[in-house]
Amino acid sequence: MARTLNFMQAINEAIAEEMRRDPSVFVLGEDVRVSPFGQTAGLVEEFGEERILNTPIAENAITGAAMGAAMNGMRPILELMFCDFSMLAMDQICNHLGQWRYITGGQYPLPLTIRTAVGAGMRMAYGHSQSLESQFIQAPGLILVEPSTPYDAKGLLKSAIRSDDPVVVFEHKKLIFGGVEGEVPEEDYTVPFGQAVVRKQGQDATVVAFGFMGYEALNAAQELAQDNIAIEIIDPRSIVPLDKDTIFESVEKTGRLIIVEEGRLRGGLGAEIAALACGDYFSLLKAPVQRVAAPMIPIPGSPVLEDLYLPNKDSIVRAVRRVC
Amino acid sequence: MSLSNAKLLELYRKMLLVRSMEETHGKLLQEGKIQLMGHFGTGQEAVAIGVTGPLRPEDILFGTHRGVGEFIGKGMTPKDIWLEYLGKKAGPCRGKGTLHLADRKLNIPGLVSSLGADFSMAVGTALASKMRRTDQVTLYYVGEGTCNQADAHPSMCMAALWKLPVVFAVCTNQFCELSYMCDHYPTDDVAPRAAGYGIPYEVVDGQDIAVTYEATERAVAHARRGQGPFLVEYKTFRMATHFTGDPGHYVNPEEREQWAARDPIDLCRKKLLEAAVITADADQKLRAEVQAEVDGAVREGFAAADPTVEDLFEDLYSGKGVL
Ligand SMILES: Cc1ncc(C[n+]2csc(CCOP(=O)(O)OP(=O)(O)O)c2C)c(N)n1
Repeated sequence: MARTLNFMQAINEAIAEEMRRDPSVFVLGEDVRVSPFGQTAGLVEEFGEERILNTPIAENAITGAAMGAAMNGMRPILELMFCDFSMLAMDQICNHLGQWRYITGGQYPLPLTIRTAVGAGMRMAYGHSQSLESQFIQAPGLILVEPSTPYDAKGLLKSAIRSDDPVVVFEHKKLIFGGVEGEVPEEDYTVPFGQAVVRKQGQDATVVAFGFMGYEALNAAQELAQDNIAIEIIDPRSIVPLDKDTIFESVEKTGRLIIVEEGRLRGGLGAEIAALACGDYFSLLKAPVQRVAAPMIPIPGSPVLEDLYLPNKDSIVRAVRRVC
Repeated sequence: MSLSNAKLLELYRKMLLVRSMEETHGKLLQEGKIQLMGHFGTGQEAVAIGVTGPLRPEDILFGTHRGVGEFIGKGMTPKDIWLEYLGKKAGPCRGKGTLHLADRKLNIPGLVSSLGADFSMAVGTALASKMRRTDQVTLYYVGEGTCNQADAHPSMCMAALWKLPVVFAVCTNQFCELSYMCDHYPTDDVAPRAAGYGIPYEVVDGQDIAVTYEATERAVAHARRGQGPFLVEYKTFRMATHFTGDPGHYVNPEEREQWAARDPIDLCRKKLLEAAVITADADQKLRAEVQAEVDGAVREGFAAADPTVEDLFEDLYSGKGVL
């Protein structure tokens, strides 16, 4: 039986169910008892203060503490409130977390889930708005996922909590605050890593859209349909591992590839997929690969400027038109 | 003195092993047989062995870059250390850690590259020990220089706030890399910082193994009783330079001589001879035996198989294959 849940409820439910299932799962982070955005709200009533642990404001140190707990039999879920703040913990995340299992010769897997919020458009200016996923893709040993529906939010988070590898889950603020709803089964399920979904079928161009950008792509599809351009929209769901098969099976059909992300252009997720396309899949392409991403500037505080900064339906339409 | 003669002898043997391991490392470097640089803990053996001596097998140790002392102290064998140092497949980290020693069977979770990144990890292992209702203690062994990393503070704060079973063992060896401690600290001691978090502390002589052992024993017992963290600062002197490529021109030779007169191994030997726990002959034999153990470990290390290209992509994720 499925019910309708919003994005935030789906996250909350995933955590609660995993905590009931496995006593080694616990939550830590800054103000997770009250919960700044609401994803962990109410959990302290059921699970108590020991398993819903408020921490000092010290991102690198709480990440290290979570890693230590993971080294010693626990499965922590760490909240790094804003993805921007995760940069304070990049020593732990990039230098240690992803690499620990390897440098200890497999002796110390770190089953740690980090949840962090990305996304602009909330008028939070330069330091609380960035989508910094691409900062993490150079770090070996991490799994990176970004859900865009309540179903995926719950299913991917459950996979993350059960994974023996460290996982970073990027939650878009527009999905958290915007209350996007969707069907979520009552029964236990997970969404596996590395499996993309085709959100809309089409034969003219393949649009790979990460996270919230999938919604912008759906809007773009409507506009393009008026000109009889049918785009195929793929939601990768996992950034690492990336479901190359689904993406390039689609490109084989369409011959055109557009990658859309909310993060910045240079060295972004699009650059990585474009490089794959130019290498292993070059023969499939009928047109140059297009990247839609944010410009290489800070996110401006002005609402007008912020809207200009953000990739959206219009920039996707323009990119598709360049090649179709 | 609560330390039995048998225990003292055991600790003495470990100190000899540490010294011999590091001297051998230095020799291999000089002979051009290896390139692996060393940061030796010569003169600090009583701290490294004293802080690990009171630990139980299930207790967790975070060690430092300075030599092999605490790793030997926690039970790593010369053989495992050399297998790892030489990057061999049979090393505990399968040759992927080398200087970054980790050994799960001994509860040694690893050695970080960025100083102080493990401060908070030690808080985390202690948090898990408490949450899992074990009476396991984490010992965080750290140099005074590293205690200036920002994370030292939230780590001590969390440890005290959550009353965690962690002992902060600060080895004050007078140097922080290529400079004296006074370039790094406005105070003589690091330990009083603990008071800011309500953490009890002691400052002790780091040259006398009985003192270092017993101070650690008290701190560990405090943590194990559920009374929360404890900090011990051990005063010693780095007789080695910072690393094997450092000529150490900045070291004051007179001061070094003064400390050399209180070499921890010599002090311990004197005690053992005076108490007739060993004879001079037995001591000679013991030293030869220790050196033979190290030489054997080095030989076995060199003879062991290197990892292959197949190993290159192993151990990154728990699943098979490269992503
Ligand atoms: C984050 C970071 N900064 C600098 C270094 C370089 N470094 C290695 S050892 C060392 C000195 C550490 O001093 P201390 O903690 O007192 O330990 P000691 O070397 O005296 O044993 C420095 C600066 C490092 N490894 N990591």
